[in-house]
Amino acid sequence: MDWASLAFYLIATVCVLSAAGVVISPNPVHSAIFLILCFLNIAATFVLLGAEFLAVAQVIVYTGAILVLLLFVLMLVDTEKLPDFHTGQPVQRVVGLILGLILLLEIGAAIVARSIEGQPGSASRAEVEAVGGNTQALGRVLYDDNLLAFISVSLVLTVAVIGAIVLALPDRVRGTNKQRGTGTINLGHPVGADGTPLALPQVRGEAPIPPMAPGTLRPVGADRRIVMVSDPDTYNTVGQHEEPLPDLGDDDASRRSLAGRQGEGTR
Amino acid sequence: MVENPLWVALIVGAVLMFITLTGMAYMTWFERKVLARFQDRLGPTRTGPFGLMQPLADAVKLLGKEDLVPASADKWVFLLAPIIIFMTAIVGVSVIPFGGEISIFGFELNLFAADVNVGALVILALGSVGVYGIILGAFASANRFSLLGGLRAAAQVISYEMVLALSLVGVFMLAGSLSLREILVAQQDNLVFDVFGLSISLPNWFILSQPIAFVVYIIAAVAETNRAPFDLPEAESELVAGFHTEYSGFRFSLYFLGEYINMIVISLFAATLFLGGTDGPFAQDIWGLGVLYLLAKAVLFLFFYVWLRATLPRFRFDQLMGIAWKVLLPIALLNVLFTAFVRLISNGEITVPGWAWLIVAGVAIGALLLSLAGERTRSDHSRPAAQAGD
Repeated sequence: MDWASLAFYLIATVCVLSAAGVVISPNPVHSAIFLILCFLNIAATFVLLGAEFLAVAQVIVYTGAILVLLLFVLMLVDTEKLPDFHTGQPVQRVVGLILGLILLLEIGAAIVARSIEGQPGSASRAEVEAVGGNTQALGRVLYDDNLLAFISVSLVLTVAVIGAIVLALPDRVRGTNKQRGTGTINLGHPVGADGTPLALPQVRGEAPIPPMAPGTLRPVGADRRIVMVSDPDTYNTVGQHEEPLPDLGDDDASRRSLAGRQGEGTR
Repeated sequence: MVENPLWVALIVGAVLMFITLTGMAYMTWFERKVLARFQDRLGPTRTGPFGLMQPLADAVKLLGKEDLVPASADKWVFLLAPIIIFMTAIVGVSVIPFGGEISIFGFELNLFAADVNVGALVILALGSVGVYGIILGAFASANRFSLLGGLRAAAQVISYEMVLALSLVGVFMLAGSLSLREILVAQQDNLVFDVFGLSISLPNWFILSQPIAFVVYIIAAVAETNRAPFDLPEAESELVAGFHTEYSGFRFSLYFLGEYINMIVISLFAATLFLGGTDGPFAQDIWGLGVLYLLAKAVLFLFFYVWLRATLPRFRFDQLMGIAWKVLLPIALLNVLFTAFVRLISNGEITVPGWAWLIVAGVAIGALLLSLAGERTRSDHSRPAAQAGD
């Protein structure tokens, strides 16, 4: 046995064991870690086959991007609330077992039919060396011979991403000024959580704010100017009235509401 | 592909690892000193001349601390995570070429551990695996601040990795190879211009032919290494210490080591790709000068890192994402398109009349300005108070 086959058997063993770990491990994050190990070992197999570019692409795409996204989702989900897939219904277990056996038989039949040695591909080693290595050979196949197919696949994937974003958009962004059933607390548009309009003091030089119907939202900045406190004693409206407004008296309520609207501005 | 015998590669690798670890220790000293100067202080002075023993003192301190594992932590993942980030960081040095063939004591050997024919991609791949150290450590800590740091790290690294890779495509196109050694060789020619009968000779460093890619790379590299002003995963003003809140003692220092070694690797990588690596005046003639040039260029980048940290405030997270997806990614893509176009023309595969250049340049610049202007108005609209506060 030479070094290459020894390395292959080591890598293959770790790969199969970690693949088993993905299925057996009760914790989804541990499953993901086993999957990372499995992918890294697949990349190592590519290196043994002399396909360095494929190996690195495997690590960057699968290990580096897809599994990071998977872990991202897993971290946001409360793992205790996930459906427990190891104590499923008896029906599920039986059906799963049957399907797994069928898949195993299919793969086994494919291996037996093609012989375990594997078939040589369409490109020989000499052909690959002639264009300067497997990276160049792969580039020629993808971007010269099958350019149309490659671009079509890219386009389909882009459309899929845009579609996913459109589907995931919340209603209030997709629709225009949709009225919602519940009111929220918003300092700039003072409607209490219970829908009762708050009493707003009038800022001099502005039209009084009409009370809003309970449970409605107004688009941000519809007919209010943002008030900034640049000095504790003088109030400026943004951009429009440069001169300080005369003092508003010592009414605490008005101060508070102004401070509230300042909070809205800096949010 | 140029190869060393296996035992030579192992020795070179071991020496490189030793040098990198020492370099990392003195990187912390360098950062503290430079940062202190920016802030009108002296920095460490008590430990040895100029505080040079400070890294040793820090190491002893960190080794002496208790290795705590939180009771509710996922123990094995918690123990594994810092090792991942440290390992992936230090392996990156092995593909950096420190020079060509030299002879020491009669042995002919190459000054790199491995000349992988996809060497540049190996560094990107190591960076993308290294982020698991952050994500898993954050998850295993069972701490909300850590988790938030980990989520930020995941989103940030995925976004900026793409920008980083795309910014390098132009360099790969010009060099015609993904091997760092061949990229280095491609930069050792001279770039000769004829301007009004005057012949100007410049080194063929890719910073001159790919300036946009260089700027994009630098920004993305700072984000990829989680350094200020993109250090949101460990933003101490919001998240205590982010993903390493629960780590102490030597496990914390593994994170620390990983971060600094990443910086060193990224700097060496940038020096190799854009600044000609070991190339420089008389580098071919005098033994060892090439390595010094490479290290000097890397120190230049490291200084830039510290400079950024001393100067810029931290970005908000939506700004961070906005920069990556709305600014850097389109610029990098345009750069790839443009480089491919120029490459085709210089190969003589297509010919373009002169007026078409003006149109192309006009459209490109117009699109860029429009997108930037759109970005400006949108952000002004969403943050009216930003202008008003004075």
